[in-house]
Amino acid sequence: MSDDVPSPALVLDKQPDVNADPGAPLIAGAGGNRAGTFTETASRYGLLAAFLITIVVFSVARPSTFPTGRNVESILTSAAPPMILALGLTVVLVMQDFDLSIGAMIGLASGAAMNFMAKNGIDWIPAVLLVLLIAVAAGAVNGYMVAFLGGSSFIITLAMGTVLTGIEFAMTNQDTVYSGFSSSFQDVASGELLGLSHQIWIAAIGAVFIWLLLDRSEIGRYMYAIGGNSEAARLSGVRVRVLRLMGFVIVAIGAAIVGLLLTAQSGSYAPNIGTSYLLPAFAAVFLGAAVFRPGEFNTAGTIVGVLFLGVIQTGLTMLDLATYMINLVQGGILVTAVLVSRLGQRRAG
Amino acid sequence: MNVQARGLRKVYPGVVALGGADLEIPGGSILGLLGKNGAGKSTMIKVLAGVVAPDAGEILVDGAPIALGSPHDAAAQGFAFVHQELADVPNLTVAENVGLGLGYPTYPGGLVKRRALSRWAKEVLDRLEAPVDPGASLSSLSVAERRLVTIARGLAADARMFVLDEPTASLTDDEIEHLHKVLRSLRDQGVAIVYVSHRLDEVFAVTDRVTVMRDGHTVYSAATADMDKPQLIEEITGTAIAPEQRRRHVPADGADELLRVEGMSRPGVVEDVSFTLRKGELLGVAGLVGAGRTELMRLIFGADPATAGRVWLNGEELTIRSPRDAMAAGLALLPEDRKEQGGVLDFSVRKNITLTTMPRFRVARGVPMPNERRERATTRAFVERLKIKVANPEHPMRYLSGGNQQKAVLAKWLGSDADVFIFDEPTHGIDVEGKEEIYDLMTELAERGKGVIFISSEFTELVGACNRVLVMRDGRVVSQLEGSAITDAALVGLCYAHE
Repeated sequence: MSDDVPSPALVLDKQPDVNADPGAPLIAGAGGNRAGTFTETASRYGLLAAFLITIVVFSVARPSTFPTGRNVESILTSAAPPMILALGLTVVLVMQDFDLSIGAMIGLASGAAMNFMAKNGIDWIPAVLLVLLIAVAAGAVNGYMVAFLGGSSFIITLAMGTVLTGIEFAMTNQDTVYSGFSSSFQDVASGELLGLSHQIWIAAIGAVFIWLLLDRSEIGRYMYAIGGNSEAARLSGVRVRVLRLMGFVIVAIGAAIVGLLLTAQSGSYAPNIGTSYLLPAFAAVFLGAAVFRPGEFNTAGTIVGVLFLGVIQTGLTMLDLATYMINLVQGGILVTAVLVSRLGQRRAG
Repeated sequence: MNVQARGLRKVYPGVVALGGADLEIPGGSILGLLGKNGAGKSTMIKVLAGVVAPDAGEILVDGAPIALGSPHDAAAQGFAFVHQELADVPNLTVAENVGLGLGYPTYPGGLVKRRALSRWAKEVLDRLEAPVDPGASLSSLSVAERRLVTIARGLAADARMFVLDEPTASLTDDEIEHLHKVLRSLRDQGVAIVYVSHRLDEVFAVTDRVTVMRDGHTVYSAATADMDKPQLIEEITGTAIAPEQRRRHVPADGADELLRVEGMSRPGVVEDVSFTLRKGELLGVAGLVGAGRTELMRLIFGADPATAGRVWLNGEELTIRSPRDAMAAGLALLPEDRKEQGGVLDFSVRKNITLTTMPRFRVARGVPMPNERRERATTRAFVERLKIKVANPEHPMRYLSGGNQQKAVLAKWLGSDADVFIFDEPTHGIDVEGKEEIYDLMTELAERGKGVIFISSEFTELVGACNRVLVMRDGRVVSQLEGSAITDAALVGLCYAHE
C-alpha cells in the first residue's frame, strides 16, 4: 500500500467529491431511530457538567482558597503524575487489555533511579534513559506474553507486578534513601517554566502525544478497531499483536516517567511508592469513558477524569471534612457521575 | 405424543425465516426434516425448543395448544433436543450431565447422593446400550458417546419427543448404526423423533416419514417408503421455482492463470486441496457446512496456519503468514461471519470502509494520519454506489440492517486493489434484491480481470453466477463442474453423497 491516489478495485460511478458537505445525511429518514438529542447530550456531557458543578460548589464554599490561581496550579501539579499514568493506561484499555503492573512499574522506576544515581553515581540523564529502557523491556515482556503467547492480560500483568516489585527490592534492598539525587535531577520535577511546574508541562506534552496517537493517527484507528473487534481487525490486515505489545510498552513508559517524577520531586526513594496510584488511574480512565464518547475510552475523557478526581480530592480536603466523609463523598460522586452518563447511554443505545 | 405446529411465522429484519409453516410430528415414528440451509429448519427447531418466540402460529400437543415461553417450558412438555454442537458440560461427570437440571437426588441439606445419581444415570445409559461409565468426566468421551449422554438426559427427563439436529456429524459408520438402533427402539416405545439431516442415505435408512422445508414453508411430506432420492432432491431444491438463469461470466479464452493453490492442508479440516483460478474468472465453491470451504479460504488468506500447501499469484510464489501478508500480496477475503469477523460494529460506517486502506487517506504523504474529509468523500461514493441504506455514515455500523452491514464490509474490500477476491457466503441473510446487487458486483470484478472465488451454500446462486464450481466434502475437493454440467441437482447430489 502506498500514499498514491486511491485506485479502488471497483469503478465508482462518481469520483469521490472531497468538497461535498460531510454533515448532510445521505438518505433522509433511513436507518435506525436514534434517541433524542437530550439523552444523547446528557450522556455525552453529563460528567463534564458534574465536573463544572463540583468546581462551582467548592468555589462557593471556600471562596478565598479554592478559586485561586495558586490552588489551580497546585491541583494541576498534583494531577500531573496521575495524568501521565492514566493517559498510558487509556492506550491499553482501548485495546481491551488491562495492565495491573503499572503501580509496581512506578516503584521499579523509582528504585532503579535511586540505584543508578544514589548508589552508583551515574549522571542523571543516562540514569533516566536507563530507567526508561527498563520500562520498555518490562512493557515488551508484558505485551509479548499477552499478545503473542495469549496470556490473560489481567493475570499476566498482576504476576508481572510482583516480579517488578521483586526487581525493585533487589536493586534497593528496600532501603529508604534521602540523598544522592543531584539538584538538576530534582529540578526536572520541581522547576518551573513560564510560571508553571515542569510536571504540568510534561503531562501536557503526554496528553498531546496520546491524543495525536489515539485520535489522529492510523495506529490509533487500528487500536480502536482491535478494541472493537480484534478478529475483524486482524482479517483487515491490522497488526493486532504488535499494536497490543506497543500499548503495554507505552503504559510502562508512562509509569516509569511517573516514578522518576515522584523521585525527583521528593529527592528521595521509598520502597513501593506506586501502589496507591494504580486504582485512581483506572478510576480516572473509566470515568473518562463516560464523557465525550460514551462507552469508549478516550483521551479527552481521561483528562477530564483525572482532573475531576484531583478537584474532588483537593476540594474535600479544603472543606475540613472528616476522613470518613471524604471517602464517602468521593466514592458517591464517582458512582453517581458514572451512572448518570451510563443511563443516558443505555437509552441512546 | 403427537406434536403439531400450525402456521408458524417468524420474520427477522430483512429475512422471513418461517412463513407460516406447519409440521406434523406423530408419536411412535421417526420424522426426517429436510431442507437447504436457510430453509427454516433451525428456526422451526428453535421455536419448538422455546428459544425463539414465533410472530404467529401455535404448537399443539395431542390437539391441545401449549405455550412455549422458554426452554424450561419445552422441557416441561417432554421435548428433548440434541443439537449439532454439543451442548453439555464437559467438566462434569457423565452422571452429573445426565441429571443436569432435572434435580439431583440429595440428602437432607442439599448434598448430592453421588451413588444414587450414578445408579440413575447407569440405568438410563443401559437402556441406550451405551457402554459409558457414569463417573467418567464428560470431556474424556467421544463425540458419539457425548451425543448418547445427551439423549440419556432426555430419557431421564421422560422426554416424549426428541429432536436431533445433524446428530451424525463427525460420527463413524458403526456409531451411526448404533445411534439409529437406539432411535428405532425409542420409536417403538412410542416416542416422537425428529431427525434433521443433510445426509439423504441416512434419512432413507432410519426415518418413517419425511417432511421437506423450503423458504420458510413445509412444502412436502410423505412416507419415506413412497419416495426415491431424485424426487427428494427435487423437493429440497425446489427446481420448479428456480430463479431465472443469470448471465454467467465466462473468462476469455486463454486468460492467464491468476491464482494457483497446491496441496493446502490442515489435518482434520482441509486435506490436500489444489485448484487454480484464472483472470476474470468467477469460481464457485459448493459444499455443506463443515465441508472445509471456509477453512480452506482462511488457510489461503493466512488467517489460520496451514500445515502444508503452496500458493502462487501471477506465477509468483507467495509466503503468507498472516492476513496482512495476504493483503499485501493482493488477496481479499470477505469472511463468512460479518458480526464476528467482518465489521467493527461500534465503528462508524466510514471507519469500517476505510479500515483496509487507511494509508490512502493520509493528510500528507508519509504522515500516517488520516484525513477524515477524504475518508468521508470515499465513504459517500461507496454508499451511493452500493446503495447502502444509512442515515449518516458517521453512525455506528451496529445501527444498520444485516444486508447493509454486509454491503459496508464488502465496500471495505472493494476499495482495496486486490487481484483475488474471496467472498464467503456474501449473500447470507440478505434479501433477494441485495443478492442480485452482490452478484452484479462479483461479475463486474471478474469483468475487470480480477479473480473471484464465491462460496455459497445456496447452490442455485452458484448455478446462476459461476462457470466453474468446485465441490468440497470432508475437507477435500471431490469434484469440479464446468459449464452446463453445473446444475442444482448435480451439486446437491455431490454434496450430500455419503460414502
